Amino acid sequence: MQESKEKFIVPIGPQHPALKEPGHFEFTVDGETVTSATIRLGFVHRGIEKMAESRTYIQNLYLFERICGICSHVHATAFASGVEKLAGVTVSPRVKAIRTLFLELERIQSHLLWLGVAAHEGGFDTLFMYSWRDRETVMDIHETISGNRVHHSVNLIGGVKFDITPEQVKKSLKGLDFLEERAKYYEKVVTTDETFLGRTRNVGTMTKEQATVLSAVGPTARASGVQRDVRVESPYAGYPEYPVNIVLDEGGDLSARFIVRIKELYECFRICREILKNLPEGELSVKVPRRIPAGEVVSRVEAPRGELFYFIKSNGGETPERVKVRTPSLCNWSTISSVAVGHKLADMPMLLVGIDPCFSCNDRLVTVRQANTSQTMYWEDLRKYGVEYYK
Amino acid sequence: MEYETFIKDAEDILKKLGKDFQHPEPNRLDVYIDRTDLLAAAQAIVDAKWGYLSALSGLDCPAPKAEGQQPVEAGHLEALYHFCRMAAVTTLRVKVPYNDAHVPSICSVIPSATLYERELMELFGIIVDDTPIPDRLVLADEWPEGVYPLRKSFTGLDVPERAAQES
Repeated sequence: MQESKEKFIVPIGPQHPALKEPGHFEFTVDGETVTSATIRLGFVHRGIEKMAESRTYIQNLYLFERICGICSHVHATAFASGVEKLAGVTVSPRVKAIRTLFLELERIQSHLLWLGVAAHEGGFDTLFMYSWRDRETVMDIHETISGNRVHHSVNLIGGVKFDITPEQVKKSLKGLDFLEERAKYYEKVVTTDETFLGRTRNVGTMTKEQATVLSAVGPTARASGVQRDVRVESPYAGYPEYPVNIVLDEGGDLSARFIVRIKELYECFRICREILKNLPEGELSVKVPRRIPAGEVVSRVEAPRGELFYFIKSNGGETPERVKVRTPSLCNWSTISSVAVGHKLADMPMLLVGIDPCFSCNDRLVTVRQANTSQTMYWEDLRKYGVEYYK
Repeated sequence: MEYETFIKDAEDILKKLGKDFQHPEPNRLDVYIDRTDLLAAAQAIVDAKWGYLSALSGLDCPAPKAEGQQPVEAGHLEALYHFCRMAAVTTLRVKVPYNDAHVPSICSVIPSATLYERELMELFGIIVDDTPIPDRLVLADEWPEGVYPLRKSFTGLDVPERAAQES
């Protein structure tokens, strides 16, 4: 207890206006330096895995699509492909291409959304406004094709719901050209703006070894030079036909995470164009039995934040026996608790946002012990503190 | 295919520890092991640099209802440790009985397993011995002790006695 007297806890959340989602973090600080961080999650825990056990496979498709509002399609694709594997049905190349197109469009909107949030946390509201304005272009593409901005509801078990018309292709390609120009501009900003680099360069550095030990996934891992991308390692949907070039950066710091995500946007544009220009022929859906044969299946896909893992067990009935969903944010949380130590409190907002945490996806958070004094700080306060500190 | 080599490697690594090996899909290997061998198996996988721990999930397998009164097989809980390397997935499966639902922690070998172990304890009531942080992770603070929502016997909080029956 002698030691603990010198420590000071800063609890943050669970309510904070900037992140828009509930999360509670606590950091123990020694002066300005963070000495430890821990996690307590569950503010938006909805019991979806339990719910799934009493719903039919078709109802579950809609349920899993609603795990996350940012990456709804990736959940539905992981679930639908898993169930199709269990049922022993193969979907047509056209279905695979349409699914892949939406997977990549979703990645574009997710990365742009993240860019805006990350810029905002760093106090760069102009970049935030720009990237969110431009994100509307990809949201419009979503709406043009699927009729929905967020829950695109593309999948059926055994197919997709709609085809893509030549007019939609034309409109989408135009939108992609505009976005590519904007992405180039963003790349220039995040790599050359000195004030921006002051907040990102050499901040939150995670070495390749750390990233491997901590089982980081997605852009967070790739920014530390770890080759981990399910699209490349275990291609699913249309990725065998439209291969992805993995984007890596050895930097490991926040700046590298910005660069990796922006460079991934170029890959997204390239794949979307390829698909739109050469849509293969095929039926839009195949018949899948209502009762799924007994068995177990593992379905892995690369969500915008990293590897998404589904384990589905069927007992031969109309409802699944068990569905396990392991979302990428869960893997990346553990990197925060380790990397935060030794950094300034003012760096925390950027550091947290650096992994692109998604609460509803995964819902988990950070708490700290060993302290007898504490001061409550709202996320907005911490953000302001960070911005002021670096002024 | 590349994954065939990886699956073969995994089989070699776990040859001595596994009780039963199964291939539910071409790219998957399920290895049934005793809980006493779990830590050694995890260590062997880490030492051989065979992929990474991708997920840990629980499974409740209650006794199947037979025609007669007596169930054919006793019900049990299962902890599944999924390791991924490229397209290959190796799953370590540990079966534990309801009345002695304990597994050792693998955090000493794989530190990132902590969150998964906490989730397993809360949702399935499988006690992970010596896990570094045993605190609640996802359930609400006022959630009653000893009620494990992902067990099949749990059908809602208004009938808490059902969860108590099986222990």
